[in-house]
Amino acid sequence: APSRCPARAAPSPLRATPGLCSALSAPAGGGRLELAGAAGGAAGGCRDAWASEALLVLLRAGPGPEPGAELQAWAPGSALRGEPLWVHTVEAEAEGDDGPGGKPQAGPLPLLPCARAYVSPRPPFYRPLAPGLRARRLELGAEHALLLDEAGQVFSWGGGRHGQLGHGTLEAELEPRPLEALQGLPMAEVAAGGWHSVSVSETGDVYIWGWNESGQLALPTRSLAEDGKTVAGEAAGLHEGGPDVKSTAGGEDGAPTPFIAVQPFPALLDLPRGSEAVKASCGSRHTAVVTRTGELYTWGWGKYGQLGHKDTSSWDRPCRVEYFVERQLQVRAVSCGPWNTYAYAVEQEKS
Amino acid sequence: MAEDINRDPLAGAGALWEALLALLPRTKEELKLDLSEKVERSVVMLLQEATELFYGGRRNECLQTSEAVLDYSWEKLNTGPWQDVDKDWRRVYAFGCLLKAACLCEASEDATTVAAALKVCDMGLLMGAAILGDILIKVAAILQTHLLSRKRPAQGPTQEQPSTKKARNEHVSIPDMKSERTVPRLHCPSLQYFRKHFLVPERPVILEGVADHWPCMKKWSLEYIQEVAGCRTVPVEVGSRYTDEEWSQTLMTVNEFISKYIVDEPRDVGYLAQHQLFDQIPELKQDISIPDYCCLGDGEEDEITINAWFGPQGTVSPLHQDPQQNLLVQVIGRKYIRLYSPQESEALYPHDTHLLHNTSQVGVRGTQCDMADSPPPHPVSGDQVGDLCFPQVDVEHPDLEKFPQFAEAPFLSCILSPGEVLFIPVKYWHYVRALDLSFSVSFWWS
Repeated sequence: APSRCPARAAPSPLRATPGLCSALSAPAGGGRLELAGAAGGAAGGCRDAWASEALLVLLRAGPGPEPGAELQAWAPGSALRGEPLWVHTVEAEAEGDDGPGGKPQAGPLPLLPCARAYVSPRPPFYRPLAPGLRARRLELGAEHALLLDEAGQVFSWGGGRHGQLGHGTLEAELEPRPLEALQGLPMAEVAAGGWHSVSVSETGDVYIWGWNESGQLALPTRSLAEDGKTVAGEAAGLHEGGPDVKSTAGGEDGAPTPFIAVQPFPALLDLPRGSEAVKASCGSRHTAVVTRTGELYTWGWGKYGQLGHKDTSSWDRPCRVEYFVERQLQVRAVSCGPWNTYAYAVEQEKS
Repeated sequence: MAEDINRDPLAGAGALWEALLALLPRTKEELKLDLSEKVERSVVMLLQEATELFYGGRRNECLQTSEAVLDYSWEKLNTGPWQDVDKDWRRVYAFGCLLKAACLCEASEDATTVAAALKVCDMGLLMGAAILGDILIKVAAILQTHLLSRKRPAQGPTQEQPSTKKARNEHVSIPDMKSERTVPRLHCPSLQYFRKHFLVPERPVILEGVADHWPCMKKWSLEYIQEVAGCRTVPVEVGSRYTDEEWSQTLMTVNEFISKYIVDEPRDVGYLAQHQLFDQIPELKQDISIPDYCCLGDGEEDEITINAWFGPQGTVSPLHQDPQQNLLVQVIGRKYIRLYSPQESEALYPHDTHLLHNTSQVGVRGTQCDMADSPPPHPVSGDQVGDLCFPQVDVEHPDLEKFPQFAEAPFLSCILSPGEVLFIPVKYWHYVRALDLSFSVSFWWS
C-alpha cells in the first residue's frame, strides 16, 4: 500500500529513478536534490536529475554567469561528493525556442533542455537527436526510446523484439521512426516501460503497445490466467464485457480473445468509467495512469506491491488505487521506478 | 500438480538437506561469486546478502532476497538479443536459483516442495550459466533421485508403448514418394569418403549402420523417458507452426508434456523441440554417442550442440535453414523430411523479418530467436504476437498462386527411420514432419 513521504515543496517534476537505489528527487524551489534509498546524498543548484543503475545524471546551473547548464554524471555510490565521472556543458537554449509563455520548452531528462540531444545510461552517454526532430519529451525503456515532438507525434527506435516500437514488426529501428498508427492523433504524453510503451492523447485516450507478459498492456495474458487472476481466466478463456480492452486487431467479434504476449501495434485502452487520462508512467513491467478527475489506475506486474492495491497480485486490466479515493486525495502526478510507483496527491478541495 | 503427496515422516527426514549441504561450499566465504564489473555493484551486494542469510540459517529472508535477485537478473536476460546477454547475468540468475532451491528444501522434503525446487533448478539450467562447477546439475540429480524414490512404481500418466498406440484422431498421411527424388543412402562410409563426397560438396546423405547400435535405440520408450526425465522441466512449443498466431512456447515437466500432448488425445500439437536435454539430464547422454563424422569439422567436441526433438505424430518443423552442419539421428518413430538446396533459396520466398530470417514463407518455423543456436530466452512467455500474420504455405500443400516458383524447385526427400542418421549440410533448407510418435537427436557442428 502507498506510504506517505513528506515533501517539503511541490515536486516539479516528480522523478522516480531506476536501480536498486531508489531515489526520489524533487528539484524545485531552490533546485535541491535529495536521494533516498541505497544511495544517499544531496546536492544543490539542480534543475533536473535522472538515474540508471550505474549512473546518476544531474543537470545543474552552469558554473559561470552565462546561461546554460552543466550535465554531470555521478557513480551512485559517490553520494554526490568528490568529482563526477564526466561533465558536459549544455549550450544555452537558443532564442526562439521559447514556448508561448516565454518559458523554454525544456523537457525533463533524459532529454536535454536544448532538445537537441539526450542522455543514455550506456555509452555514448550524450546522444544527439536529428535536427529536424523538435522533441518535447523523451523516455527510455530497457532497449528502446520514445520521443514526443511538439506537434504531438510519437517516434520510437531501438530494439523491437517485444513489439515495443509499435511499428507492427519485431524489427529494431536505428533511427527515430514515427508511429504511423498514431499519425493525426496528437499525443500529450508518452511513457516507456521496460519493454512496453504508452501514449496519452490530448483528448485523454490511452494507447499502449509492446510486451504483455505480466498484463502491463491491460490485455489478457496467459501467465495470469494460469494463476487464475485474469478476467479471461475467470471466464474460461472468453473475454466478456466489463473493463473492455479493444485491440486494433486480434479476435473477431464473439470469438474468444486469445492471450496476447506481444502487441506490436498501438492498442486503444478504455479506462473504467470512461475516464480520461492526463498522465502516464511505466515501470519495468507495470503501468500507471492518472485521470482528469484525480484517480490513479495501475496494472501489470504487482509482485513487489508496485500497483498499490495492498497486495502483490499482478493485474491485466486497469485497477483504481483505492487508497487515494478512501482518503479523498486527488492524484496529480505519477512516476514509476522499475519496481515501484510514486504518486503526488493533494487533498480534495472542499466545496 | 504433485504426482505423489505421500509424506514419509521417517525416511530421509533431513537426508535430502544433508545431501544438498554436502554439495554447497561449507561457508559463505568459500562461495565465490566471481562476477565481473558488468554486474552492478548493488546486485552483487544483494547476492552477497542472500548468501549471508543462507549461511546464517535465515531461510525466509534468503528466499525473499533470492527472489529479488532472480527477478532482477531475469529482466537482464530479457534485454537485447540472447547471444548478447552477458554470461555473468546468467550466472547471477543461476545463483538465485541455487539459493532458492536450497531454501525450499530446507523447509520441507515432501514431493510437492522438492518438485518445485527441481523446477527452480531446471530454470537455472535453462536460462542460467554454469556456476560452482555445474552445481545445479548435481543438485537437480539429487532432487530427482529423491522424488523418484518416493514414487510408487507404475504411477503417473498412462504408459503406452509406441508400438501399441491406438489409432490417433488424425489419419496420418504417408507421403507418396514415387515421384520424389530420394536422399541417397550409405552404409558406414569412411570419414574420408563422407568428407569427399558429401561434406565438402554439401550434399545430403542418410548414413546407415552408424547409430543403430546406440543404447537409446533399444532403451528409449515413453516409459523409460518418464523414468529418467519425467519430473524435469523443459520448454515446449505449442501450436502447429511457428508462424501460427496460436504458436507459443511454454514450460512444463516431461510428464506433463507426455500426458498432455502425446497420450491423452491432445487438442493441440505440442513439441519438445530444439532443447539441449542431454546437458540438463546427463544420464540420458549415456544412451547416445557423438557420430565420428562430427570430428571432420573445425570446432571442438564440446562446441557440438546436441538437441532433443521429442513429440507426437504430426509435429511439423516448417522449412528453414541452420547455420551449422547437422547430423539428425532418428531414435523413435519415423519422420518425413524434405530438403532444398540453398541454391534454390529464391524459389522458397524467405521472410523479410528479422526473427524469422532463416525461415521460408512457404510453411515455416525458424530456429528460435535470431538464428543463434541458443536456448530459448523466453520460455515463460511465448512470443505470440497480437497483430502479426505470416503467410502460411504448407510445403506439402503449397499455395502455388502465391508462390508459383515453388512448384519448380527441385528437392530431395526421405522417410527417416529409427537407427538412421541424416546429414543435412549447412544452410540446406529442410522441412520435417513426424509420421509417428518421434524422438530425434540432432548434432550441430561446424
